[in-house]
Amino acid sequence: MPDRFPPGTPVRTFRHDPPHHTRLPRYARGKRGVVVEPEGHAELADVSAQGRGDAPVEQVYAVRFAARDLWGEGDHHVVLDLWESYLEADEEDAADER
Amino acid sequence: MSGDHADATIAQRVRRLETLLEDKGVLSGARLDEIIDASLSGASPANGARVVARAWTDPEFKARLLADGTAAVRELGFMEGSYQRLRVVENTEATHNVIVCTLCSCYPLRLLGPSPSWYKSEAYRSRVVREPRAVLGEFGLDLPAGTEITVWDSSAETRYMVLPRRPDGTDGLTEEQLAALVTRNALIGTAAV
Amino acid sequence: MARINDVGGFEGFGAIDTGDDPEPFHADWEARVVGLFNALRAQGIFNTNEFRDAIESMPPAEYLAASYYERWFRAVCTLLERKGVIEPGELDA
Repeated sequence: MPDRFPPGTPVRTFRHDPPHHTRLPRYARGKRGVVVEPEGHAELADVSAQGRGDAPVEQVYAVRFAARDLWGEGDHHVVLDLWESYLEADEEDAADER
Repeated sequence: MSGDHADATIAQRVRRLETLLEDKGVLSGARLDEIIDASLSGASPANGARVVARAWTDPEFKARLLADGTAAVRELGFMEGSYQRLRVVENTEATHNVIVCTLCSCYPLRLLGPSPSWYKSEAYRSRVVREPRAVLGEFGLDLPAGTEITVWDSSAETRYMVLPRRPDGTDGLTEEQLAALVTRNALIGTAAV
Repeated sequence: MARINDVGGFEGFGAIDTGDDPEPFHADWEARVVGLFNALRAQGIFNTNEFRDAIESMPPAEYLAASYYERWFRAVCTLLERKGVIEPGELDA
């Protein structure tokens, strides 16, 4: 099955503040980024951290964020490794100037 | 909480836990010693330095290293049996890469050995994603204004290592001499070679 | 809710002590705690994500006051109690 988000796909991270372990840092929630590459599949840390054996296995993606989108300023980029369920396609992206 | 007294107390508690686990048949002291020895043996920044020197001297290896870090370092006998993926990121004249784990302390242990204290500190973890230029400056690395910086915040099972730029004037050096130039900080991205 | 480990972009931790720090451990017990973590994880008593969760769940003031490997030790103890391998308070007996 092809990956849901091929390299170059504009994505947006979820805003959710979950009541458990997660690997989506606060500073990157609800932010727009671009997929760099898929990294391979892994058990979803959020569920695995609860000691449950039923953690879904998902693709993890390297996602690149502009500092300006994260912090409102800065000229660097930050790349995070994010499970597929942390991401949704950023439909508005194409219309926006970056 | 700090100082020799606290250290002695925690050392006693660790010993007591070891005894408890041995008494309960969960973990024997001998097995624990074996695991401690195994986890420390062979993990050193000399490994990462060797990978870098090979990449500097063998363009085909470098291409493989950048395309699939895990497979390429296995050619040199590193990361065998590891479930983690290695991604090597290359510094160029125009770009600089630096590695962090803001959520905990993920680090390419097999290639770099145990991480330095600063890598695990809140100061480094909190700041390098926000103001990498200032942070690199504190390490004595002042990049030209136009250099594009990427901070790799390891948040899953990929481990990152920086491929630093080969310094000028090193054409005559052997692979071994080149490896000796590569520091741990250069492999993390807080120094140049 | 936000957890204390999630420090990316947090202000106030100050300058970085950039010393080279070549020794991996500053006391023997630190190496033994890492060994305990590796051994217990290899035995399937807990996984890495549960371990991270146990560290992050420390009360913020205690997390910040604890040294790096002290956090590891506390997380190992928390998980061993949670899994019923040791009884609460057994370590202090």
